[in-house]
Amino acid sequence: MMKFLFMMIFMIPLCFMKNMFWLVQMMLFFMMFLFMNLNLNIMCFFNMSYMFYCDIISFGLILLSIWICSLMIMAGESLFKLNFYFNFFLFNVIFLLIMLYLTFSVLNLLLFYFFFEASLIPTLLLIIGWGYQPERIQAGMYLLFYTLFGSLPLLMGIIYIFNDLNTMTIYFLKFFNMNMYLLYISMIFAFLVKMPMYFVHLWLPKAHVEAPVSGSMILAGIMLKLGGYGLLRVMIFLQEVNLKLNYIWIIISLVGGLFISMKCFCQVDMKSLIAYSSVAHMSMVIGGIMVMNYWGFIGSYILMISHGLCSSGMFCLANINYERLHSRSLYINSGMMNFMPSMSLWWFLLLSSNMAAPPSLNLLGEISLINSLVSWSNISMILLMMISFFSAGYSLYLYSYIQHGKYFQGLYSFYVWFISWVFIIIFALISFKYDNFKGWFYFYLILNKK
Amino acid sequence: MLTNNNSNKMFFLFILFFSTLISISSNSWFGCWIGLEINLLSFIPLISNSKNLLSVETSLKYFLTQSLASINFLFMILIKFSLLKNFNMNNIISIMMNSSLLMKMGSAPFHFWFPNIVEGLSWMNNFMLMTWQKISPMILLSYYFNKNFLIFMIIMNLIIGSLGGLNQTSLRKLLAFSSINNLGWMIFSIMISENLWLFYFLIYSMMIFMMISLFFLMNMYFMNQLFINNMNFFIKLNLLINFLSLGGLPPFMGFMPKWIIINFLLINKFYFLTFIFMMTSLIIIYYYIRIIYSSFMFNYFKMKWVNLLMKNNMSLINLSSFISISSMILSTFIFM
Repeated sequence: MMKFLFMMIFMIPLCFMKNMFWLVQMMLFFMMFLFMNLNLNIMCFFNMSYMFYCDIISFGLILLSIWICSLMIMAGESLFKLNFYFNFFLFNVIFLLIMLYLTFSVLNLLLFYFFFEASLIPTLLLIIGWGYQPERIQAGMYLLFYTLFGSLPLLMGIIYIFNDLNTMTIYFLKFFNMNMYLLYISMIFAFLVKMPMYFVHLWLPKAHVEAPVSGSMILAGIMLKLGGYGLLRVMIFLQEVNLKLNYIWIIISLVGGLFISMKCFCQVDMKSLIAYSSVAHMSMVIGGIMVMNYWGFIGSYILMISHGLCSSGMFCLANINYERLHSRSLYINSGMMNFMPSMSLWWFLLLSSNMAAPPSLNLLGEISLINSLVSWSNISMILLMMISFFSAGYSLYLYSYIQHGKYFQGLYSFYVWFISWVFIIIFALISFKYDNFKGWFYFYLILNKK
Repeated sequence: MLTNNNSNKMFFLFILFFSTLISISSNSWFGCWIGLEINLLSFIPLISNSKNLLSVETSLKYFLTQSLASINFLFMILIKFSLLKNFNMNNIISIMMNSSLLMKMGSAPFHFWFPNIVEGLSWMNNFMLMTWQKISPMILLSYYFNKNFLIFMIIMNLIIGSLGGLNQTSLRKLLAFSSINNLGWMIFSIMISENLWLFYFLIYSMMIFMMISLFFLMNMYFMNQLFINNMNFFIKLNLLINFLSLGGLPPFMGFMPKWIIINFLLINKFYFLTFIFMMTSLIIIYYYIRIIYSSFMFNYFKMKWVNLLMKNNMSLINLSSFISISSMILSTFIFM
């Protein structure tokens, strides 16, 4: 585990040398394939040392973060061509990757908080440094202050736990029962703001839209999942309070997801639509975690991974359109199938994954989540029905608006060739499903037999 | 002060340092008071410059407020000796003694002189005022304090320090209000233990030193000067890192003292007070980020006729920002 940390730390001097842009990206891919070959054990924590560990959840999320960081560098290729501070950009990406890697793999809850907060700084730098519009100032403020407002009580909660239990090791937390309401609120509020839940979701559309493509990818791909990961870790020792109070968050997130899905239909900006769809998916993830059954946890984990891949891919595609047409508006981006028919393949594949059509991984996640939420209460069937239906609705709406129809008459000719890195995302979607999660299938079979 | 050369300043600087040592190491309260008076007397020549009317006025204001506080302190010492034969701490005389010491430091609610005077001083004098001048009142505070009174003062310090800085454009006043806010953290730490205060104070003074030396070398006194200058990329990065560190964000060095203070706050069960500490530091981070926004933007409006050269003594600044980033990691080598 430390070997990956050292590999990333020593990539930092490499960012500042000449002509090393693609080498850094290749090294990240290399690290991804190295990491994938770690010994994996689903039932327990593995690869434990003094500071680091790996669990099935953190394994998947670290893998996802390395993957998305390497794709971020690929997507930032235009920065390299235009020579716009790409050295510092590479440094930002590697620093962010180190912080995310450490967030998911340290054993100590306070260190988890430390790196959780530390990952905000490079994200803020990415949004404000390389973003496109002047609104990014406000977006950066919203991102920083929403997250900090939530996470400072988390710091209080962690230190309170330390003073009470004299341990901060995440592994030992399952043996304790801290059932205090105020502790519960302070611990999970940070992650609910990060996820984001409906009432505190305001930072997300702003931050996603104003970020450059790399920033949007990492925000949608991993930063939201930090909240899910934190929730999965922290709820273990708060179980009684969870059972009493979780219905609040489930209701808020599911109804909020419904409202957000409907709001997606009103969006004109492509990136804004994808950002709101992220909120809707994450609302289901929150619902799944909060019901606290096994299918809920697994479903939310799978949906987190698949949504990370899917949303990042969609942001890449939106940026491809933006680079060619210099607009993200749906009014201008129509009839793209006439110009870039191979792009319509990727739009279709990613949007069909977004709406959780088979054979995507999103489908597995959503089915598990639907199972867990309906087992919790039958009434959630209505909400889930509407959320799934509307997610299919806006995904199709986005696809057909962009691809079909007549193209905008004011278009000049543009560069059609693109780098086919988006296909790797799809490949990852399918391969993640069938390779790394083979064990899950066996689990489902065993569970079903019971 | 007819001549304003450095040898005079060196003499008074030496006496300034010595006076603080007298004050904190004396056996009797009179010795403390004597140290405070010599402190005042030796600081005045450091800050007054007879050619500049503003600095004369500033030194006069400083003299008036500090001597008022010293007289108050002396009088309360005498009352304590003559009227109170017992030694318990939480009584009304301790409130009065603490008030006079708080006025010496520039803590709320006696803080009104502090931004004014900081506005009239140069950067290096400000550094002395914000760091060294706080040592002896702090330590004297720790000898005889009233817990409830000080907790109330801490809350006032935090709120005034955070809300007062929101409307400022002068960099000196901004750092003055941030200093008032940090006084809240320091008063709490000295209530816990002097060692803890020393730790917080050292890290705080190191961060303030980095900020002030950066502003001093760039000769910047107001916020609009941040946007007019053509700052080198490294200077901007340095500004960014130092301000975020001063605000207490991880992964920079400024997070560590705040984390430790929060630990002691929660051990002693001050839950609501901790919440106030957190939220006011959010407001402080807001106005720090407002200052350093131009550092985030890589290409911004540059004037052609203003050329800020990278001076020779800026390598210290780069080293200090490197320390700011990596000190959390380096500290694990020391402490673990």
